[in-house]
Amino acid sequence: MTDSNSSTSLLNGVNVEALLDARGALDEAPEAANFTFKAESEWLDGVHARMQMSDFFGLGEEQSRNKAFTVETDHPEVFAATDAAPSPVELVLSALAGCLTAGIASVAENRGIQLRAAKATVEGDMNLYGVLGIDSSVRNGFSAIRVIYDIDADASQEDLEALVAQSQKRSAVFDIITNPTNVSVALS
Amino acid sequence: MRSATTIIIGAGQSGLAVSRYLTDCSIDHVLLERGQVANAWRTERWDSLRLLTPNWLSRLPGYHYTGKDPNGFRTLDETVGFLGDYARNIDAPVRTNTTVQSVRAMGSGYQVQTNCGEWACRTLVLANGALSTPRVPSIAGDVPVNIRSLTVGDYKRPSDVEEGGVLVVGASASGVQISLELCRAGRDVTLAVGEHIRVPRTYRGRDIFWLMDAAGLFDHCIDDVDDLERVRSLPSMQLIGSTSMNTIDVNSLQDLGVAIRGRLVGIRGNIAHFSGALPHICKLADLKMNRLLRTFDEWIEKEGSDAVTEAAYALEATRVPQLPDLTLNLSEQGIKTIIWATGFDPDYSWLKLPVLDHRGRLQHDGGVVAAPGVYAMGLPFMRKRKSSFIDGAADDARFLVKHLSSFLAKRSNMVA
Repeated sequence: MTDSNSSTSLLNGVNVEALLDARGALDEAPEAANFTFKAESEWLDGVHARMQMSDFFGLGEEQSRNKAFTVETDHPEVFAATDAAPSPVELVLSALAGCLTAGIASVAENRGIQLRAAKATVEGDMNLYGVLGIDSSVRNGFSAIRVIYDIDADASQEDLEALVAQSQKRSAVFDIITNPTNVSVALS
Repeated sequence: MRSATTIIIGAGQSGLAVSRYLTDCSIDHVLLERGQVANAWRTERWDSLRLLTPNWLSRLPGYHYTGKDPNGFRTLDETVGFLGDYARNIDAPVRTNTTVQSVRAMGSGYQVQTNCGEWACRTLVLANGALSTPRVPSIAGDVPVNIRSLTVGDYKRPSDVEEGGVLVVGASASGVQISLELCRAGRDVTLAVGEHIRVPRTYRGRDIFWLMDAAGLFDHCIDDVDDLERVRSLPSMQLIGSTSMNTIDVNSLQDLGVAIRGRLVGIRGNIAHFSGALPHICKLADLKMNRLLRTFDEWIEKEGSDAVTEAAYALEATRVPQLPDLTLNLSEQGIKTIIWATGFDPDYSWLKLPVLDHRGRLQHDGGVVAAPGVYAMGLPFMRKRKSSFIDGAADDARFLVKHLSSFLAKRSNMVA
């Protein structure tokens, strides 16, 4: 929110009306709904890298943000690394929490539920036999991910459960993690 | 070229209900039916299917059930017989074995091309069924060649399915019923569970449809819902019509030995991949079911209804394996057949009018189609929640025939 005044009538600061308008408009203009998100990455040293995210494509044209965000990834010392930044897998867990939390705030806004706090703990189980190539039957990635939400709001337990369920239903990252995606990696 | 004021495409419950009201208004019409009356019930469903709705809940204009088993569920044969009797009773002008090949605008009306020649009409009713074409996802193209793919339209009985393993894709009414039948016939059934609507067959001693009808849910109108798109694309309720009033759900199927997986998301070689969102999908279904049951509780409390004597109770949550398998090796598990119970679409391939949106869906406002004098019937939540049920045909037909008849009156005035 760049302009806090504009959010005074909103419970949780989510402009749901704009989102609903966009949904209506995009239904009429299917091409505009095709987005391409981008990130650029640069190796720094060791297993330390820096990623930059700025422009993306959507609504039929390049969308320029006039600014760039950076995140870095490294690996913990137990992996004989410098631990200068979170590991990529921790960023994946963070992205899941970020996406679900955005969903919870939006759905709460739409349902007239005022949030006072919404905290999540995300855990991902990983057996290193996979990434270390010790056992080919063990996958590289997480074998299971658990998200525990602690939400303070004026709503019944059932309403909160419905809120959390609906945020999963509409979450991009939840879908990215739970369903396969075609991925190609090539040299330029 | 033959002509009629109104042509009704399809002679199922929807077309027959419209025919009855058109006759009442003395509007001359014909019903063009590609097969016999109640054709889909006759030819496009599996043998053991019974209606999901109890016998009493099949009121049509001028008809209500007077038999001995109001709470029973009609077999397919009984359904075909019932609609056939109704067609004879109302003297419906049905042209059987008449397949519509195209509909085009012509002058101030429409030209209907069939395998038995051309018809002209001023008004048109599309009563050809919302569930005419089994929907099959594109991943069906990745099924290994040694595995047989069947749609719900192809499947008739367990003996059609080779001994061994079966993967049933979809856990709505068709998928759970076929899973149950195949499991009882000794097949090893794996059920891929996507989004579904869990409802018990009975609650507090009453059939779920009795409760929905009594509490007024079937009469909810399109103006009562905030997201019409959503309610119109909901899957069928997870139900079975049987002689024993059984509830069928993911729990009861697991009790019988059906293995459950998440939504089928891909097949690579011999490996089927499933979504990891199964716990979420089941939780969603439980939450929605509990909300529905609370609606009934509130209605019972408010009405103080004598018809419900049992106290409220909670149903067991859907049991999901701690870590559901995300893959299934089709050859190692001996899967010989995959059954796609992934929904149905209406068929409008023959409708050469600018009334379909970019996703091929019919554009209509409560059954009044976006072309003058064209109407639809029997679509999900077309005007009310019951629009796609036999019991919903009467209200929709009454409204649309009224609209149609005033449309004709205005046209005549303009010509005069």
